[in-house]
Amino acid sequence: MGELMRALGGRAVQALLVALLVGASCFLMVRLLPGDMAYRVAASRYGYDLVDSAAAEAVRQELGLDRPWLLQLGAWFADLARLDLGVSLASGEAVLDLLSVQLGHTLLLSVVALAFSLLLGPPLGVLTGLRPGGWLDGGALALAAALRAVPAFVIGIALMLVLAVEWDWLPVAGVGGWREVILPALTLALGLAAASSRVTRDAVAAVVASPYFAFARMKGLSDASAFRRHGLRNASIPVIAYLGLQLVTLIEGVVVVESLFAWPGIGHALVHAVLGRDIPMVQGTALLMGLLFVGLNAATDLACWALDPRRQGARA
Amino acid sequence: MSRKRLLGGALLAAVIAFALLGPLHGADPLRQNLSDTLLPPGGAYPLGTDHLGRDLLARLAAGARLSFGFALLAALAAAVPGILLGLVAALRGGVLERLLLGLADAVQALPGLLLVVLFTAFAPGEFLPLYLGLALSLWVEFFRIARNGAAAVMARPQVQAARLLGFGAGHILRRHLWPEVAPLAATLFAFAAGTAVTTIAALAFIGVGARPPVPEWGSMMTELLPYYAEAPLALLLPAILIFTTVLGLHLLAGRERA
Amino acid sequence: MTAAILPRRALLASAAGLPFLPRAAAAQPASDTFRVVTSQEINGLDPSRSGYVFARMQVVETLTGADDGGLPVPQLARAWTLSEDRLTWRFELRPDARFHDGTSVTAEAVAFCLDRARRQTGVLGNIPIESIAVEAGGIVIRTRRPFVSLTAFLAHYSTAILAPASFEGEAVRAVIGSGPYKVARLLAPQRLETERSDHWDGPPPAFARASYLAAGRGETRAAMAEGGQAEMVAQLAPETVERLRRNPRLDIRVQPIPRTRLIKLNCASPLFNDVRARRAVSLALDRAGMAAALLRSPASAATQMFPASMAEWHVPSLPPLRRDVAEARRLLGALGWQPGPDGLLVRDGAPFRFTLRTFSDRPELPGLATAMQAQLREVGIDMKVAVVNSGEIPAGHRDGTLEAALMARNFSLVPDPLGTLLQDYRPQGGDWGAMNWSSPALTALLEELGATADAAERAALRGRASTILQDELPVIPVSWFDLATAVSKRVGGLTVDPLEISYRVAGARWVS
Repeated sequence: MGELMRALGGRAVQALLVALLVGASCFLMVRLLPGDMAYRVAASRYGYDLVDSAAAEAVRQELGLDRPWLLQLGAWFADLARLDLGVSLASGEAVLDLLSVQLGHTLLLSVVALAFSLLLGPPLGVLTGLRPGGWLDGGALALAAALRAVPAFVIGIALMLVLAVEWDWLPVAGVGGWREVILPALTLALGLAAASSRVTRDAVAAVVASPYFAFARMKGLSDASAFRRHGLRNASIPVIAYLGLQLVTLIEGVVVVESLFAWPGIGHALVHAVLGRDIPMVQGTALLMGLLFVGLNAATDLACWALDPRRQGARA
Repeated sequence: MSRKRLLGGALLAAVIAFALLGPLHGADPLRQNLSDTLLPPGGAYPLGTDHLGRDLLARLAAGARLSFGFALLAALAAAVPGILLGLVAALRGGVLERLLLGLADAVQALPGLLLVVLFTAFAPGEFLPLYLGLALSLWVEFFRIARNGAAAVMARPQVQAARLLGFGAGHILRRHLWPEVAPLAATLFAFAAGTAVTTIAALAFIGVGARPPVPEWGSMMTELLPYYAEAPLALLLPAILIFTTVLGLHLLAGRERA
Repeated sequence: MTAAILPRRALLASAAGLPFLPRAAAAQPASDTFRVVTSQEINGLDPSRSGYVFARMQVVETLTGADDGGLPVPQLARAWTLSEDRLTWRFELRPDARFHDGTSVTAEAVAFCLDRARRQTGVLGNIPIESIAVEAGGIVIRTRRPFVSLTAFLAHYSTAILAPASFEGEAVRAVIGSGPYKVARLLAPQRLETERSDHWDGPPPAFARASYLAAGRGETRAAMAEGGQAEMVAQLAPETVERLRRNPRLDIRVQPIPRTRLIKLNCASPLFNDVRARRAVSLALDRAGMAAALLRSPASAATQMFPASMAEWHVPSLPPLRRDVAEARRLLGALGWQPGPDGLLVRDGAPFRFTLRTFSDRPELPGLATAMQAQLREVGIDMKVAVVNSGEIPAGHRDGTLEAALMARNFSLVPDPLGTLLQDYRPQGGDWGAMNWSSPALTALLEELGATADAAERAALRGRASTILQDELPVIPVSWFDLATAVSKRVGGLTVDPLEISYRVAGARWVS
């Protein structure tokens, strides 16, 4: 248990480091990008009809973009110490307010997508892993490869046309009620399930082929109960490690789906912020996502640790 | 060689043959004909034309050389260091493992998409920075799979016994770690190559990435998306090629007995 | 594999073959809500940023409005007068106008908003306003010189009037307007929900609520129209219009709007400083092909800068811009350009090569640029295309690095195009207009137009201005714009505003 507490303490230190690193590196990278930042900010504020040199000059004056870099970065850290993430250069709203809406929507979308993918991927993976090389395995592999080969926007449009336009079961796009989240989440889930079903399948196949599993079978356990008793835990470690990763990749992978389904999420906002050189938005987003990531990692560690009895025994 | 590997090899060979033989058809992948747009396959255009009346066969073949090469490059650039570092971390443990884990976290704490978008912003329209940014965010996935898989193996009694008996790291790596990690890594590799191409499509979709008129599978799909109802085949042809590539890679790289 | 590869007909058949599938209520709206779907996101509360959203949804009002032809009509200002010397304007407000918080719309509140709009980025800062004052309950605006287009500028969304309670210092913290609808819920950047204002002094709108959804992709908007999930879908992507026309539930309205896609050229560059080179580029373009294949609107191929729908500025007698590849080659040859071994033009060892910047906020622009790239290649011009942020075009204009740009210029930014032209064709050039090109004759004509009220004289001046632009080609017109809107057939009384000032939801009702 002491080991675990130390590990979690390490994660806390890590969270602090992430905050410093992310804040500074985002700032530097965005400032290093080519192009005049004032014009970019003006373009994202006023749109392509109204961006001109006068607007850019006004932005430059207002934001003090001519100040030394270190001064600007220092100001951001000083604000951060007061838990103030600043104001979006594009919309003029507080970054924290924007993030609470957008990150909230993305988290909702991601969690629903992950739940859908858990219903689809791992069960299929277990089925195919128990009978590797069978026709089901082959079919599932082809399906997974197909889902990975088709970009999310094509899957999304297909789902939209079938489920929302032809059958009229769900709203095409938008935000507001619970029904709007289903289509984008399903679009994401299909891609996720494609990968997680294969990782599960390989892990299960490895367990099934292992000597201790063969031993369990020799003890007279049926396939299913041998797997439940001995296989499930072992097979789930790589799967959980992978899922922890997926949730993070997911949050950034949602950008296409968010754009397609008009979902006010963070992926979409982040890309716009980078393109529009909205530094406080980029920093704030990256910071929160970094912290979220550290949190997820801690949770993944915890789950893997709890699931691996031998490791527990070996180190106790 | 197993039947599966044979099939995988055949699929890959088909894509490579397509890339090599496609240009023999003789059409220029950049030549437009605005009166022949979105034609179905047939006649002078074996696979039809796109929204600017360009020959799809020529474009797909030209794109194959680009996409195929870069996708493999990006996947390799991510897989090799990722797996090696993962195995080293599990084998050595201690400070080195913690350092590497910290590095992986640091990279991953920066959203991968942000990395790719930032990389492309430095050299807009170039493919190399795009794939480099991609490799930089993909390697972590390989690292974690390798390290977690290997760590579980290291805790097994037979491995600990081997260590007590004085077998070297090389032996443990060959006999115990590699067989465990390889199939997972192979799965990831095949998918990472596919991800590389679809990521380009995604970037083009959000308005970042390729410089027209370069034929590349990912950006071709984005360009053709608005015409999904008129020319669904044109939109899906690049996807079919990516599918064949991913499946072929997967079968070829997969474990013999599985 | 995925449903994506199933042909659509198979999908239809399967849907028809499953009659027992419940058709859920997605297409059945709450019967009192009018749903608008369009492409532009809501980016902040300040009128200078996303004022168009709140103006189109009739949450905020401007002092004046504009009719379909761009002529000023009363809005918050019930009437106005112009002094004898044409320098002093006096606006009288609607006496019963109230903001959504119940307070009356006072001249002081209006003056504050206009003054603020002048200091902010927007159109009002560009015109010769001397002072804005409150006198005897009316607004008095004095200009430094006669400026007859003032009422057009006051119709721009950046001059929208908000209640004093909207502001915290200079910053906008809430949108409290005076229109028939008030903000009920805002979920930036995607969604806005409004409901009837209790304080609206006009006839109450038929719809109790309205909603606005920003869906950036044309495919999504088309699907929402097809699925019957919006009463109005604005800014349809050209590829989807034909398909939506066949839908019996939809009424598709396509109308030309005062906007033109143009190529801006750096006229100081040795490539383009001779008007013959600019003409050659223009002659090489296949405008008809692009209009038919990419814009799906053959009539939108530009023959001059202003579309026929801008009757005041369009000059039917101008010789039209056309395609003539042989003539383009001849002109370039006369300038000393000779084809090299690869077919590309060379002069004094230097190739005819330049980079065209364009942006993807208007989704059709990169495609058009790619098409033009191939067309110019045919006459031996090597044009690279760079898809950039829209800010890179004015930035490149300012630092001189811009060689060429493909852009969309809005001539109804203020309902009178003169405002835009004055900015774009000043002697020193304009960020979205001429670059390193000027014509004293044109400058004089535009100045005169700003000060002349006589209709016949103005028409003559406009004709001469259009002719100069056509002869000199400081920018090369490529195509005009169509605005395609899908309106549900269940809605009546709705007209589409060609100037995109308002969605006019307040005048709409269900058809029984």
